[in-house]
Amino acid sequence: MRLADLIGLTPALTLFGLFILLPLLAAFVLSFFRWNGLGTPHWAGGANWVQFAHDPVAATSLVVTAKVVALSWAVQTPLSLALGLFTAGHQRYRAVYAAFYVLPLLLSTAGIALMWEALLDPNFGGLAGLSHSLNLGFLQQNWLGNANLALYVIVAVIAWQFIPFHTLLYQMGRRQIPGVLYEAATLDGASGWQLFWRVTLPQLRYTIATSSTLMVVGALTYFDIIYIMTDGGPGYTTRMLSLDMYQSAFQQDQFGYASVLAVVLGVLGVGIALLLIRFTGFASMESQQEGAA
Amino acid sequence: MSRALGSKPESARRRWPLATAATAAAASLLLAACGSASESGHGPTGTGGTGGTSVTAWIVTTGPSPANTVINQAVSAFEASHPGDHITVDYIENQSYKQKIQLAMGAGNPPTIFWTWGGGPLKQYIDAGDVQSLGNPGWAASFLPSSLGAVTFNGQLYGVPIEGTQPVYFFYNKTIFRKAGLTFPATWAGLLSAVQTLKSHGYAPISLAEGDQWPGLMYLEYLTDRIGGPSAFSAIQSGKPGAWSSPAVIQALTDIQQLVRAGAFQKGYDSLKFSGGGSDALVYSGRAAIQLMGDWDISQMLGLNKSFVTAGSLGMAPFPGVPGGQGNPSDLTGNTASYVSIASHATAKQKSVAEAFLQDALATTSYAKSSVSAGEVPVIKGASGFFSGQQLASYDQTIYSSVESAPSFQYSWDQALNPSEATTMLTNLAQVFELSQSPQKFASTMNSQQGAS
Repeated sequence: MRLADLIGLTPALTLFGLFILLPLLAAFVLSFFRWNGLGTPHWAGGANWVQFAHDPVAATSLVVTAKVVALSWAVQTPLSLALGLFTAGHQRYRAVYAAFYVLPLLLSTAGIALMWEALLDPNFGGLAGLSHSLNLGFLQQNWLGNANLALYVIVAVIAWQFIPFHTLLYQMGRRQIPGVLYEAATLDGASGWQLFWRVTLPQLRYTIATSSTLMVVGALTYFDIIYIMTDGGPGYTTRMLSLDMYQSAFQQDQFGYASVLAVVLGVLGVGIALLLIRFTGFASMESQQEGAA
Repeated sequence: MSRALGSKPESARRRWPLATAATAAAASLLLAACGSASESGHGPTGTGGTGGTSVTAWIVTTGPSPANTVINQAVSAFEASHPGDHITVDYIENQSYKQKIQLAMGAGNPPTIFWTWGGGPLKQYIDAGDVQSLGNPGWAASFLPSSLGAVTFNGQLYGVPIEGTQPVYFFYNKTIFRKAGLTFPATWAGLLSAVQTLKSHGYAPISLAEGDQWPGLMYLEYLTDRIGGPSAFSAIQSGKPGAWSSPAVIQALTDIQQLVRAGAFQKGYDSLKFSGGGSDALVYSGRAAIQLMGDWDISQMLGLNKSFVTAGSLGMAPFPGVPGGQGNPSDLTGNTASYVSIASHATAKQKSVAEAFLQDALATTSYAKSSVSAGEVPVIKGASGFFSGQQLASYDQTIYSSVESAPSFQYSWDQALNPSEATTMLTNLAQVFELSQSPQKFASTMNSQQGAS
């Protein structure tokens, strides 16, 4: 490697090392100590890791995390794709719809959480009001207090927040597919569905990979909406690993154990991201439009 | 606690320390980092004169309030009588304080005088050698004895009350009770039958903000006391093995579930939060009849719906007794007071100024009197004559008398226990309220948590 390359890499490497590698390492080291944030940390060996292996709360939060990740992807991808393809058209009414769809992007996460919390309040909330005035009994639910419901409500609110962003990704992706591909396919006698399956979807492959990676890694570390709306409740039903980590550190003052959770979360995040990139062929990014344009 | 005297609603009034987790960890980390850089407590910033000593104090607030004014006045008066000495008061927002002080302590860089709710978290600082003992001073006798338990460890005093007492009572809508032909019950059985009557009149009997988890704890605290007396919890607090499965605790948990099964709590009680004002709204809007809450609920109600309070519709009653139980029905639970302590990291001069402030400014009748004018109920002895003429005099008078005469005033369990045990307790208790955990399961989980830190 030439000297110039090294010099060029230095700023990026320094920032990466200082703000990503160093904290990660520190968390890993701290995971072998007992520390309540005061005084000197005490060496604990593998005790925190053993505790993690036997901690039913950590096990529950891993399951909750997996559910949120899987459901978020399964809900957001088809909806974003559909909305993205719809808004990719250039008709004026679609532009109007598109403007409405991106509205959630303008709101802060805390605002979204508080708004939905107010809407879902079973006594004074908007949905409870609708259920009275429209006689829709099923809207009268204990949305955030029902252990069988709360997780799905959270997934829905997360989807409401993030679908606009992924819609934009798919909209741009669709607009970049050359029209000649569709013309050629149409000449070959392809139907609307076939155009979607044979042209649009394969061409959107990398958009899907990007969007999915962002969704999965984003959902894995998701925190704010859950923290504000349910704080992990009822019981532990919406306590994701990130929330478990936060509460271990800042409410229970167990910084060593929280570091174990942080390391697990970090490894999971990086691992899943690497796998996604590998299996979607995202890293190679070879063009699929040879000769098309 | 400062009753807002007709000022804006203090909806963030809730001072349930453990539950006041920060809204954003990152933000308060930043705050703490900035704070400790500028407030090292050693600098001569603002040194009044030659040989003077500067002291910094961190005081928790929920926003500009009459209580802050009272503290500022006490500081000015102290500085006037101690020329050269200077106390800088930093008012810190309730939510972020707990992390800010934890980080400052961990970094060995706390202010000389710091706010505390006493109990388990203060004990952690004491164990880490961060807190200056005040010894066993004679002036401590000017406080009601029940008010110093939260800051007394191994016979040594570690803090002095700075803001008033916050016991827990039942608050109820008198109009609903009149319509249902009820008076507030004095026994647990009476409460259960009142629940049935209220239900038959179409009301949600009890408003509960269990989404915050600490409101449900108040039921466990009171029931355990009424059934087993104060010793049931002191066994838990002292870490006696198996103390969580004592008959009193199991019975209290069983009674709670009986209340839940009787449909006593409003729909969605397990997700409603106190801070949003929803549980109060249920009561003043006439949908729910009763709420168990700390006395800060009076000022919050006043802020949310002034006429409801001024018209005399807000009733206040002690937690009912359990006949046959060992607890005295006059026993109280809640926050005994809010305190300030002195950090051991300060210089000898700073410590002596801080001690002088605690003794000469805070442990006085005149300070208690001015805090009454800010709507507080002080814990100084002989204050019963201070309240006449205050907007909420009748409530304040009742609160003071009940604290004065309480055989036992147990401060909140989530503050008495160490933070780790306390959070586990709150989460598991919420599951008891949802009927998804049995009393026995709760007890065994908590027994296994004992001594965890």
